[in-house]
Amino acid sequence: MTRTAEMWINMGPQHPMTHGLWNLRVKVDGETIVDAEPEVGYLHRGIEKICENRTYPQVIPITDRLCYGSSMSWSHLYCRTIEDLMGLEVPERAQYIRVVVLEMQRLASHLMWLAAYAVDLGMMAGFIYSMRDREVFVDLLQNLSGSRLTYNYPRIGGVAHDIPPGWDKEALRACDYTEQRLREYEDLYEGSKIFMMRNEGVGILRRDDAMNLGVTGPPMRASGAKYDLRKDRPYEAYADMDFEVCSRTEGDCFARYRVRMDEMWESCRIIRQAIQNMPKGKWRVVAPRNAPEGTGMARVEDPRGEGMMYAVGDGSDRPYRLKIRSPIFVTVSAAPKFLVGYKIADVVAIMGGLDMCIGENDR
Amino acid sequence: MTGGGLENRGDAQELEKAPTRIDGDPEERVLRVLRDRFPGSASDTARVRPGLVRAHIKREDLYDACRLLRDALGFEHMSMISAVDYPDRFEVVYHISSYQNNLTLELIAQTPKDDPVIDSVSDIWGGANWQEREAYDLMGITFKDHPKLERILMLKDTLYHPLRKDFRG
Repeated sequence: MTRTAEMWINMGPQHPMTHGLWNLRVKVDGETIVDAEPEVGYLHRGIEKICENRTYPQVIPITDRLCYGSSMSWSHLYCRTIEDLMGLEVPERAQYIRVVVLEMQRLASHLMWLAAYAVDLGMMAGFIYSMRDREVFVDLLQNLSGSRLTYNYPRIGGVAHDIPPGWDKEALRACDYTEQRLREYEDLYEGSKIFMMRNEGVGILRRDDAMNLGVTGPPMRASGAKYDLRKDRPYEAYADMDFEVCSRTEGDCFARYRVRMDEMWESCRIIRQAIQNMPKGKWRVVAPRNAPEGTGMARVEDPRGEGMMYAVGDGSDRPYRLKIRSPIFVTVSAAPKFLVGYKIADVVAIMGGLDMCIGENDR
Repeated sequence: MTGGGLENRGDAQELEKAPTRIDGDPEERVLRVLRDRFPGSASDTARVRPGLVRAHIKREDLYDACRLLRDALGFEHMSMISAVDYPDRFEVVYHISSYQNNLTLELIAQTPKDDPVIDSVSDIWGGANWQEREAYDLMGITFKDHPKLERILMLKDTLYHPLRKDFRG
C-alpha cells in the first residue's frame, strides 16, 4: 500500500456541510480519513447562566431558542423538568395537546433535516419539496401559537391556551397530505441512484459503540438498539398511543435516513390518535411562583435524540441551576467513530445524517 | 493545534462480554449492590420514581462504582453529567442509563469548594468525554486522568469558569 503524507483539513466553520457554525477537523491519508475531531462552541450564548437570572416562566422563551428546528420539544422539556421539581400534575387534555404539537414538531424537524440532507447529497429537488411540506406544520403551529419557529407555547402546568376551533380538522388534513407526500419522497430519494450510492454502507456505527459513546435517537436506533423513550418510559399521553418504535440493524447512513422516514409515518399516526381521543377539560393548572428546594429531572425523546434537563431549586422564584443535556452534543463527540476509514467525500453524508443543530449543541 | 479526537473511542469490546439483564427488581438490586460493595460510601439511596433511582457516593469510590455499574449491572450509557455549585460544595451529578433494564441512576458525588477534583469516567463510557470537558470548561471541575481536558465551549484563553456562582460577568 502506498502511503502519502497525512494532513489535517478544516471542514468549517464556513463550509456548506456544517449547517451552522462548527468546525470538523479531519486528518486524511490521501482520500481516507484516519482521524477526526469536531470543534464546537462558536454559538455558545451561555443559556444555562442566563436561566439562573430569570424567573421560572421567563425561561420558557429562552429554551425555545435552544434549537430553531425543534423549539417546541425544548420548551416542553423545560416545562416537564420544572413540573417534576414542583410536583405538578398536568391535566389530561394538556397532555394530549402536547403530544400533538410535539409530533408536529418532530415532523417539521425531520422534514427540515430531509431537506438539508438532500441538498448535501446534491439533490436540489428534494430540498425544495421537503421545505415546502414542512411549511404545512410550521403554519399549523403558527396558527396555534402565533409565531413561526419559536412558539413559546408550553407552560409549567400545561399549555398556554386551548387549540383554536377547526384546528384539529386542519391537523388531520395535514397528516393525510403528509402521508401522501412521504410516499412520493420515498420514491424520489430511494429511486435516486446517487442518493443510494452515497448512503448505503457509509458511516457504519455498531450498536455497542453507539451505546458506549452516548449516541441517542435515530442514529442509535439505526444501529440496532430498539429503544424509544416514548414507548419504553412513556411521558405525557404517549402511553395511550399505538405506534411502533422504528429501528434498523444496518447502522449506516441509509438506516438513519430510513429510521427518520419511518418515524414520520408513525408521527402522523400518533397525531391522528391524539386528536381523535383528545378529552375535554382544563388545559392548564396554575403553577406556584416559587419552586421548593430540591431537584427535578426530565428526559424526553427529542427529534435528535434524548434531551434531558436537570434543575435545582432553592426555594426562590428562579432556578438555582439548570443543566441542559443536548443529544447532538454527545452524538457529535462520537464523530471519529463514524468517520475513520471512510473517504473524505463521505463526510458530508455521514455528518449530514446526524442532523446537527448548533443552537442546542453550543447552548 | 494539538491532538485528535481518536482517543474518544470507548472500549466496546469489553462491553460485549458484560452481563446484561437483571431479573426481578432491578431498581432494588442496583441500590443494594451499591450499598453492599461500598459500605460507608454509598449513602442516601432512594427510589425517586419508577425508572429513576438516586445514590450518593464518595468521590474516592466514584471510578470503581462506575466500573461496577457498567460491567456487572448493565449500565451501558452515560446520559448526562451536571456540575452544580452549592454554597458549601460542588456536586457532580451523573445520570447513568441502562437500556436493557430500562433504568436511570442518579449518582451524586461531592467535592469540597477548594479542591474541585474528581476521577474521570471517560474511559468507561466514551459518552462522558465531552460532558466532562464541558463541566470543566463551565464549572471548573478537574477530572483526573481525562485524556484531553481542554475548554470546549469557551475560548481556549478564557480565565474564568462562567457557571460558578461567584463569577460576575
